[in-house]
Amino acid sequence: MKTLMRILAVTAVAAGATVITGTGARAASVGEAGYVWNGAGGEEDEALGLKPDAKAGKDVFEVCSACHQPEGWGLSDGTFPQLAGQHYKVIIKQLSDIRARNRDNPTMYPFALPSQIGGPQAVADVAGYIQTLKMSPENGKGDGKDPELGKKLYADNCAKCHGASGEGDNDKFYPRIEAQHYAYLLRQFNDIKAGKRRNANPDMVKQIHDFTDRETHAVLDYVSRLVPPKEKVAPKGWKNPDFQ
Amino acid sequence: MHVLKTTMIALTAGAIAALAGANGAAAADGKALFSDKGCVGCHGEDAKTPLQEGYPRLAGQNADYVFQQLKDIKSGARANGQTAEVMKPVLEEVSEDEMRALADYLGGLGRFAEATAKGASDAPGKALFLTRTCIACHGKEGNKPVLKTYPALAGQDKGYIAQQMKDIKSGARNNGAVAAMQPVMHLVTDGEIDQIADYLSNVK
Repeated sequence: MKTLMRILAVTAVAAGATVITGTGARAASVGEAGYVWNGAGGEEDEALGLKPDAKAGKDVFEVCSACHQPEGWGLSDGTFPQLAGQHYKVIIKQLSDIRARNRDNPTMYPFALPSQIGGPQAVADVAGYIQTLKMSPENGKGDGKDPELGKKLYADNCAKCHGASGEGDNDKFYPRIEAQHYAYLLRQFNDIKAGKRRNANPDMVKQIHDFTDRETHAVLDYVSRLVPPKEKVAPKGWKNPDFQ
Repeated sequence: MHVLKTTMIALTAGAIAALAGANGAAAADGKALFSDKGCVGCHGEDAKTPLQEGYPRLAGQNADYVFQQLKDIKSGARANGQTAEVMKPVLEEVSEDEMRALADYLGGLGRFAEATAKGASDAPGKALFLTRTCIACHGKEGNKPVLKTYPALAGQDKGYIAQQMKDIKSGARNNGAVAAMQPVMHLVTDGEIDQIADYLSNVK
């Protein structure tokens, strides 16, 4: 009888565990056991395997343009990040993470949903369209008061992943951060540091763990002032003809 | 003993009746509830002619949104403006099933969006509505929100909209999906909020 009860109990727990870890559970977040940064699977993988159609992506981008602006420059006060110039794979990953709720963004969430923009093909398409956009010539910057410290911190902490000029790495899913709006960088940096950005790279969380406020402002001001290659930047006053 | 038995039967019958009543309300007439629970007193019999300015018009509002607000006002999760003092006590007498029935009733009514006051005005509130991201979530002219849990705004009471925007901006209101809206509120000043409210209240 006792053995039977034990068997039943184990079976029940196993059955329960299966149910719990089944379709309903969300992926582990940074800092939690079992977290894999950029772990395989889901829509992200699907989208990455598809061929982007930038023309179709333009129609998808119309949704995004309401906040990220038709030029994809976001707002220089950092409310919305610049998307222009961002790597293809990075956009696919972040968009997939936002709609899978691996990255929290209540404002954006409805617009990332398949019901709003479409399935994995739409994700690939809009990421492809964004590749056609040139970057803002006038992004939001920091106060410029600590350039020496910023430069040194960047070289010592950030360059090995984000590149010598903040250009990032498409294959490694490291975002381009050069010329991103300072206030947006600040918000993400602090959220990554605090574990609030749940899809963060754990190496980065560790790397920035001990940054003081002064160091944070200095390095991000430096990053906001990095200048992308000329051919990637739009002229002043440029408007996206696709949405005129 | 006979008295006790009768009492017990009566109490049981009463309990059953009460339960039946409670379950019955789910299928019950939301329109009857809107009257019986006293909603008509402030929101008007047609649910779009409030007793005074500053109270919201409700007819045709998204049912899921209404349901969330009723729950949040009753629980205190939403406590801005008149909700805590005036509406919360009213909702003490309303069960969740009844709230759902009320929400569905209101959602099924025709949407109001006729001009309320002087005459539809286009600018500058309209330009603000288009460019400060409002249109993205609340839809063209505030009439077609992107999610059913977001409110329609067109034709809403001007003072009420302005107050909600200010309360969301200040954090005085932070229930439901307000977390999605709060991050964009710094894009508008109080003066611009008034202009947007003026525009929305006059949408036909």
